[in-house]
Amino acid sequence: MGPQFTAAVDNLVRRLMETGAGTTAPKVGEPMPSFLLPDDQGRLVGLEDLLGEGPVAIAFHRGYWCPYCRININALARAEAEVAPEHRHIAAVVPDRQKYAAWLKSDAKVPFPILTDIDSGYAMSLDLAFWVGDELKQSMISCGWDPAVSQGTENWVLPIPATFVVGTDRIVTARFVDPDYRMRMAIEDMIAALRLAK
Amino acid sequence: MELHQIRYFVALSETLNFTKAAERCNVAQPSLTRAIRALETELGGELLRRERTLSHLTELGERMAPLLRQCYEAAVAAKAVAQSLKKGEATALSVAVSQSIAVATLTRILSELSRVFPGLHLKLLRGSGPEIVAWLKSGEAELAIAGPLDETWERLDAVALYEEPLNLFVSGKHRLAGRKAAEFKDLASETLLINTASEMADKIADCLKETAAGAARSHHVASLDDLLTLVKANLGVAIIPLGIGSLAGLSLVPLGGLELVRTVSVYSVAGRARGTACATLLNMLRAADWGFESETGRKWGDPDGRTHAQRHPRRDFRPLPRPGRSAGRPAAGLRD
Repeated sequence: MGPQFTAAVDNLVRRLMETGAGTTAPKVGEPMPSFLLPDDQGRLVGLEDLLGEGPVAIAFHRGYWCPYCRININALARAEAEVAPEHRHIAAVVPDRQKYAAWLKSDAKVPFPILTDIDSGYAMSLDLAFWVGDELKQSMISCGWDPAVSQGTENWVLPIPATFVVGTDRIVTARFVDPDYRMRMAIEDMIAALRLAK
Repeated sequence: MELHQIRYFVALSETLNFTKAAERCNVAQPSLTRAIRALETELGGELLRRERTLSHLTELGERMAPLLRQCYEAAVAAKAVAQSLKKGEATALSVAVSQSIAVATLTRILSELSRVFPGLHLKLLRGSGPEIVAWLKSGEAELAIAGPLDETWERLDAVALYEEPLNLFVSGKHRLAGRKAAEFKDLASETLLINTASEMADKIADCLKETAAGAARSHHVASLDDLLTLVKANLGVAIIPLGIGSLAGLSLVPLGGLELVRTVSVYSVAGRARGTACATLLNMLRAADWGFESETGRKWGDPDGRTHAQRHPRRDFRPLPRPGRSAGRPAAGLRD
């Protein structure tokens, strides 16, 4: 991971910050838009299905190829074990196809659904999708990170790895949106928000 | 990228004129200009070069136009699906499936779609390559699963789903049944059954022409069911996709020197509004894991072929240090 890579990441993050990427995503007090996405087994899962059990944290991830996501999903798996007895859950959304979602799930023994958002359509509708750009794309390829394979498209569009805690009334009670993919919602913040949500 | 910015850019890329694009999007021109500028900042370059009557897309603009149109369609479909689920309204969906594909391959996906859309009325069309193209053009089919369609219509969008080798299948009663391998000359005295509705019919004929099998007698049928019935009855042998032969319980006899692989894709028509069930089915097909395995352990189908053992191309990765909040930029993460 050379200085060139870091510079490419910083450039992209700066551009996203400048244009306020993600700012119009659902805010606290606003309803979380519904979705209908296939899980790692090909079952279609809607937001309402998830909320039938209790409040849920929706965590966007970039994909199996992303080491930050693999680390984060491990932490989420442990968090799910902690809150599940209280009927509070987690679900992850990735632009990866099922095969890769299933790997993400099995590697970390994830007990919650990992949903496939083809072409980042749902993320895009929430203002959470961005184009990687040529500079970072080159750095990523030379590093062996190739979302084109796992997504099945050459678009090089990725979601901002945001997290939304949603109450059973579909209202967002907490959110974390940072265009810098290295930053994720702190697990303890997410657990606390899930426990507060109704 | 915000949805309205993309919508404005799609209009601009088609009109190449800020006034006309603003009219089409029903927005004041300064708003459109502002949105395009914001998009240019995010994408890191100019999208349109403004020159009175000669305004044109830049190289970046040319590249981004189809990509952003795809993003826009995906997002609009995501929104529409959420809306229609709330209403539970009736939706019709017409899908064409080629006569070279076993519908059994799709039953799991179709049942799931049917479960989630109680108001769904599914119309399944079966046909040959040319028939499918005609149905897509006329709008009689919204989606088609076939492969490969020999068609150059520029509005035909194809996304590859899986690859499938073709090989020789015979009835369990056939003299070759159970053999580990066969050669072209073994076919010279056989009757070849050919499914003329299959996209691969000509390719199979081309493959055999120069070999001893070219002398074989042949019967033509125009449906997959008829072909399978006749092969099972030991009326002849057939070169068919592995999935079809395995599903039908026929005996595979690998033909030495035969290297035929076809790509099955999902086809749709660019620029045509898709119903919500159609958009959902398209996403399910694209998301699905198409790795097949026959009872004998033969594997095929996976378009990237990457196995779990090859999952991390580079193993020396160490995450970048997280940026210090004080260094470089302000704490802009939106914590609410």
